[in-house]
Amino acid sequence: MSNQESYRDNEKIKTVVVLGASGTIGSLSGGLMAQNGLKVYFLSRTQQGSERGLQKAISQARSEMIARNVICGDYEHLLGQAISETDWVVEAIAEDVKIKQQLYERVESYRKPQTIVSSTTSSLPLNELIEGRSEGFKKHFLSTHFFNPPGRMSACEITGTEFTDPNVVDFMRQFLKKRLRRAVISVKNTVAFAGNRIAFVLFSRITTLASEFGVETMDYLIGPYTGRLLPPLATLDLVGLDIHKAIIDSLKTHTKDAMHRWLTTPGYINMMIQKKLLGNKTGCGFYRKLESGKFVFLDPVLCDYVPAIEPHVAFVEKAKHFTHMGMYKEAFETILTAQGKEAEVVKNILCAYIAYSYSLVGEVTDSTTGVEGIDKVMAYGFNWAPPSVIMEALGGSEIVTKLLKERGFAIPQSLQIGLKSCFNITNSGKYFVAK
Amino acid sequence: MKNERVYIIGGYQTDFARNWAKERKHIAAMMREAYQGSIEATDIYPGDIKAAFIGNFAGELYCMQGHLGAFFADFDPRFVGLPTMRFEAACAAGAIAALSAMAHIQAGIHDLICVIGVELMKTADSAKGGNYLGTAAWYEKECFGIEYPFPKLFGKLGDEYDKRYGLDNKYLARIAEINYANAKNNPNAQTRDWFMNFEHACVKGKYNSVISGRIKVTDCSQITDGAVCLYLASEDYAAKYAKQMGLPLEKVPRIIGWGHTTAPIEFAKKIADSANCEYVLPMTRKAITDAYSRAGVKDCWDLDVIETHDCFTTSEYMAIDHFGLTKPGESFKAIEQGVIEPRGKLPINPSGGLIGCGHPVGATGVRQLLDAYKQITGTAGDYQVPGAKTVAMLNIGGSATTNVCFIAGIDD
Repeated sequence: MSNQESYRDNEKIKTVVVLGASGTIGSLSGGLMAQNGLKVYFLSRTQQGSERGLQKAISQARSEMIARNVICGDYEHLLGQAISETDWVVEAIAEDVKIKQQLYERVESYRKPQTIVSSTTSSLPLNELIEGRSEGFKKHFLSTHFFNPPGRMSACEITGTEFTDPNVVDFMRQFLKKRLRRAVISVKNTVAFAGNRIAFVLFSRITTLASEFGVETMDYLIGPYTGRLLPPLATLDLVGLDIHKAIIDSLKTHTKDAMHRWLTTPGYINMMIQKKLLGNKTGCGFYRKLESGKFVFLDPVLCDYVPAIEPHVAFVEKAKHFTHMGMYKEAFETILTAQGKEAEVVKNILCAYIAYSYSLVGEVTDSTTGVEGIDKVMAYGFNWAPPSVIMEALGGSEIVTKLLKERGFAIPQSLQIGLKSCFNITNSGKYFVAK
Repeated sequence: MKNERVYIIGGYQTDFARNWAKERKHIAAMMREAYQGSIEATDIYPGDIKAAFIGNFAGELYCMQGHLGAFFADFDPRFVGLPTMRFEAACAAGAIAALSAMAHIQAGIHDLICVIGVELMKTADSAKGGNYLGTAAWYEKECFGIEYPFPKLFGKLGDEYDKRYGLDNKYLARIAEINYANAKNNPNAQTRDWFMNFEHACVKGKYNSVISGRIKVTDCSQITDGAVCLYLASEDYAAKYAKQMGLPLEKVPRIIGWGHTTAPIEFAKKIADSANCEYVLPMTRKAITDAYSRAGVKDCWDLDVIETHDCFTTSEYMAIDHFGLTKPGESFKAIEQGVIEPRGKLPINPSGGLIGCGHPVGATGVRQLLDAYKQITGTAGDYQVPGAKTVAMLNIGGSATTNVCFIAGIDD
């Protein structure tokens, strides 16, 4: 049977092994598979870790029924049996090349010739992960990058290496879309793919600006009314500051583009990491919740927490009111016409988002799909209004081109072409939140 | 009657999975998006709109906002001066707004009316929201001091079926399972990404708690925020529109039949009154048969699709025999035989219905009519029933107190 024939049927995958099932992405993406009727092995270093993962998956599905599709175990006792039985291995272990390589070696010794292996990483070079693996393994290896939490974020970036059989990628694209209900975005094998590459450049800039404006004010200025469900620094608390730094470091090493200058890790971030102020996973990061339920915010200069100042800027409040009434263009018109350094910060970030996103069309996604791939990953992976929608909200490409020129951003060719997208302001209202 | 024929021009539904309260949006923002989306979907020239009719149940309770028609004038400077009005008939508010729009067109008062159904409900927690919903029944008698009164009332409907004919709860679970499965094909359905299977719908536990008696969480439609905008038009306007769109008029769906009845508001009285009747809810049955009669529909087998009001699994169970898919009390047979499934002889709720698609109370009737339009025009996407030409919808308010049935179809 040729590969083309064998990968035609979505029912081909019946059994999946999740490696790293104790972690968030492993357990919750594994949970999605169980929800959709697949038999799933939850494997991690310990049986207890895998069982904790299953509890997370149950909580995501809001049903104990999915446990009927899950077998929990540890690598030592169950890896061989599980891998030899499975059609797809999903690796979601720690972001460490050596550890992944070692586990892949063990996987290879048990896998069936047609078994697909995918990694959920986006920040490590895929080719390094498969060094030393057989041709058959490499032909069936790709990245399936889920976003956190997979139950709420439907994006999944997919790419292979130069060794991957294109039929395997095509098959997985269909499988992820049809069986796991993912919004699948085909990306090129470049570091951080599309979503993290764009988002973390902006996060990096915002952490730098927070040194000047303060954490609370930055999250107020670039708040949900600018087209995102969560403010950026609150998002980094969810991501974890250690992960943030690792992604920035990786982008610094592997990318060279106009926004490279924004890839910095301010000293206070390093201090936060040293002090284990990593975000939600350590109980505090940029934000710290008091027993009273109120928040205090990290002061980047003191590297300590200070009470809320509750910023109030007139143009922000006016824009939020328009958003409250569903008048998104009027909200962005308010931002556009506002003066002062706070307004300039907001305009600059919005311009950077558009300029950088459009500049990557063709580099991180296929140019034939226009800006839609990037739109999708920002919407379904980050809950941000897609860049094409922000451009529409600001008044269209002509006005945006002028804004970019005024701020010294290069004008991406793809922006001038006027690429189409399935998103528009009307169907993207959920990304504009009045706070 | 000046304009006997009333056409459906199309419209727009907001994504029912959204939480507009969390988005901190005003109810008018939801109406605005539905209106804006409807213009993009239909290409109607806004200056042609002659009136706006708004279906809404309880804006005053959920979000301290009444007088919703007035917001329409804010959506476009051309709307200042247009007649607008708001309609309320509990969960049938949307269908009543459409029914009134139909009557205005038939009377020759307007030739193009924008009908918006809207409800913002996630402003209230489930206990408070459940109490608000109690005002759709006889509040003092049936709901005062009672937690979750409506699941209890529709639980009693199941109990009455059980008493008269016997009712195995596995059929209710299957109704829930089918609606959730259908919702997965609907990109605007509230539960499209929720997990569900038959076993989950059967089990009682932490994630499927009992609300009352036989009614568990999976037997209920969920609290939903949503708005739907739809256009009804006279034959003259529809002909002009069809020409603009390059369509023959015969391809534009129209309302071919309707029925509208009101039963006593108190559920116990409804049941007492029907003690010697063939049907448990004879006024619901009458709304359906009136619609059949006006549409020239012989029986349910002349229909291709039904969108029914499954606020609870028991209400869909009731609708199956009241539409005539089975003899009274034998709804289980249609479930067992797969009749109501998407590929069955007469699919019910390919959209997911209220249980799967969601139930923003005042928007539901308009949503059902829009889904009838989509089915007939072949634009329902992944939940399209192939070849659908005649579609019925049933929208009920209270404990089947206000009953509205529309049948939509095309002439060819």
